[in-house]
Amino acid sequence: MKVKIKQWNAVAQWRWDTGNKDAADDEEGDVCGICRVPFEGCCPSCRVPGDDCPLIWGECSHVFHMHCLLKWIGTAASKQQCPMDRRPWATAERRVDNAPPPTT
Amino acid sequence: MARNGLRYQVATKWQDSFRRFNQREPGISGLIAFSQAWDVATEFLKPRNINEPLPPRQYTQAVRAALDVIHKSKRLPTLIETFLSQVESLFYLIQQEVDQFMIEYTADLDVGIISKMVYRVHEWMKEWTPATELGAAFQSVYINFFQTHLFSILPESFSSAFKDLIASTLAPEEEGEALKQDHQIWSTFDALGFIDRFESLIASVGYEHIERHVLETCTGQWGEPMLTPTRDWMTAKIVPWMIHVYGRNITSTEEARAMLAGVGSRFDFHMAKTLCDLRTREIFDIIIDFPDSEGALKDLKECLQRVDQRAALVQSLRQAHRKRLLHPGADTKLILSQYVATIKCLRIVDPPGVLLFKVADPIRRYLRDRPDTIRSIVANLVGDDDSGDALVDETEPPRPLQAAEIEDYSDPNWEPEPIDAGPDFRANKPSDIISTLVSIYDSKDFFVKELQILLAQRLLAAGDDQSDKVEKERRNIEILKIRFGEAALQVCEVMLKDMTDSKRIDQHIQSQQASVIHPAIISKHFWPALESSEILMPGQLKELQDQYTAEFTKFKPDKRLRWLTHLGTVDVELEFEDRVVEALVSPLEAAVIELFSEQSEWTLDDIAKRVGLSQPNILSKAVNTWLDLGVLASAGEGIYRVLEVSAGKGAEAKDHVHRPTTVEVEMPPVVSVQQQQAEQMRVYWKFIEGMLTNLGALPLDRIQTMLKFAPGYDRTITQLAGFMEAARREDLVTVRDGMWKLNK
Ligand SMILES: [Zn+2]
Ligand SMILES: [Zn+2]
Ligand SMILES: [Zn+2]
Repeated sequence: MKVKIKQWNAVAQWRWDTGNKDAADDEEGDVCGICRVPFEGCCPSCRVPGDDCPLIWGECSHVFHMHCLLKWIGTAASKQQCPMDRRPWATAERRVDNAPPPTT
Repeated sequence: MARNGLRYQVATKWQDSFRRFNQREPGISGLIAFSQAWDVATEFLKPRNINEPLPPRQYTQAVRAALDVIHKSKRLPTLIETFLSQVESLFYLIQQEVDQFMIEYTADLDVGIISKMVYRVHEWMKEWTPATELGAAFQSVYINFFQTHLFSILPESFSSAFKDLIASTLAPEEEGEALKQDHQIWSTFDALGFIDRFESLIASVGYEHIERHVLETCTGQWGEPMLTPTRDWMTAKIVPWMIHVYGRNITSTEEARAMLAGVGSRFDFHMAKTLCDLRTREIFDIIIDFPDSEGALKDLKECLQRVDQRAALVQSLRQAHRKRLLHPGADTKLILSQYVATIKCLRIVDPPGVLLFKVADPIRRYLRDRPDTIRSIVANLVGDDDSGDALVDETEPPRPLQAAEIEDYSDPNWEPEPIDAGPDFRANKPSDIISTLVSIYDSKDFFVKELQILLAQRLLAAGDDQSDKVEKERRNIEILKIRFGEAALQVCEVMLKDMTDSKRIDQHIQSQQASVIHPAIISKHFWPALESSEILMPGQLKELQDQYTAEFTKFKPDKRLRWLTHLGTVDVELEFEDRVVEALVSPLEAAVIELFSEQSEWTLDDIAKRVGLSQPNILSKAVNTWLDLGVLASAGEGIYRVLEVSAGKGAEAKDHVHRPTTVEVEMPPVVSVQQQQAEQMRVYWKFIEGMLTNLGALPLDRIQTMLKFAPGYDRTITQLAGFMEAARREDLVTVRDGMWKLNK
């Protein structure tokens, strides 16, 4: 018997690649340290997740919703520091893993 | 002095009398003349037996003179008395005849006999009537006397016989002749005093006739209003009859008007009441027939204004609902549509909404306890109802949900509540059907969640081109936004956007490397809790996934894909030595058959290991699909083998090489709101159990109060009640007089 797949209407979820390869796929996922909303959700000022509400990486390795971080940095209280470790905020290069990302 | 005076007075009086007897004639010659006159007069008046030959009475000069003598002597009253006692002594003749007639009637039940009797008695009466010349007073005394005696000799059975006779004057239309023919019988009735004597009996005949007519013509006739045609019929048939009965002394139009206003309005009231009672009995089916029964509803509205039967209507409808609607055998969809029809119908009958409020309460309560109510309402809202019976009129523009409003006394259109409203009645501002349905529940959140689930199912259901469907759903959501508010439906918005984005991404990826896999890529937190399972795809299925993932990562470097392999559909074509089988199956089923293309025999255990699935029942189901399609066959306990040649029908199968078989694909397993609620509620079960163990039986509000101490508890008492009810069904608890107790 030969099996031929003619069409497959599949369903998949997207996740941000936060570089956290150890995280089990079915775990709840990380939340933004500022708004406490999952990365795959959207920040309080957005209504649509994903490309419209992207993430931002710090050199300190902390990740936030970009909108949340920018808002934070815009406040005087932030002193331009990462809200998690109080180190001066420096945005990291978008990390792109060249290795094929883990899949299920 | 005084004595003399008295004596004088007595003497004068006596002489006066004597002079009268003596007719002021000299001596006693007058007295002799009086005696002769008396004889002449009594002979003239004497009642006679009409069965004997009777010479006509002659009001001769002699009679006139004799009566004159008696009158002058002021002895007329005595003459009358004498005459009446003669009448009385002859009454046995009438009685004999009446008895004879009644015997005949009892045998034949022919009302013609009674009518003959009436005429006959009237003949007796006429025969004995004193001549007009004796004056109206004389006659009226006689008539009175005769009637009184007549009533005293009529047997008890007469009244029912008489009723039958009256009924025959209202004979069915086709015998309309009888009515005219018997015109004179009414004057005979009147002459005999029957109309006054039997007034209520005659009226009851009229009432019964009206009742019969209403029941015959209006029962089940709901399309057109029947009140006007029935009134027309009354004018044509009943009013002329009423004039016989009540209008015999009417001489002017004013009197006629007064008669109709009095008696006529009593008959009209009776007609309205009969129709009202009928419609009250029929109300449940009238509602089922709506909108084809609008006529009946308009009638009912008008009748209720005339007849106070509102409580009876509520009673009847509530009873019908209990018996015919609110039972486990009735489909939720049916209950909902009957509820909606009830709302529409009672709005016609009673615009202020008091009746609806009283009738709706048990339905709403019942619906609240049904597990699939929300789903049914939502399915109907989005037009996903196979019954095709939309609860909402397409023509009704969608409006925002209306909360129960507080009375606004400054509103110029404010009206006081109707008197039978009752204390719980909330001023029912015109509210649309959907608001009314949603308000069955405390919160609209349930609806939004259910809506999200339904939308998920519809979007993820199999289909070649999704874009039309997505567009249709988008229009749906736009309408629902108006009802539920923009913010509440934001998640649905994201779901729809995911679908469009997926399509765009897929177009790009297909342009890079064509693939048969077309995933819907969804945003995790915006879709309902999709039951997750970890099915590992084998062979080419896994390759398809990996290739696609690789292309996706190239396109969206900051994202990863996680395949939800328990969702979606696969169109597979299986090529055998002798046949080709095409099937639309779930990914798990595809995975199973893919394994059989690696090797032709597998045990269930090995399949389970390969696909990483620990639930044997789900796996068996997938294997069964292929057994049913004749692709696999059992090869021992838990062992299956590919049927490379169709079992027993090899030759036949070759003739039908290409035989596409479609397998029904189940809806993605999505957990419903109520299931979720129950699951979350289970967390609190151990608190409840502990509290009932320590404190014994507790009322619901007490349990609710104590649960508030449990971390994160935010349920309403209604939700708690629903949960306790579920626990009772599982025999975990029992309830008695509102006290909940552990079932040990
Ligand atoms: Zn954030
Ligand atoms: Zn944002
Ligand atoms: Zn940091």
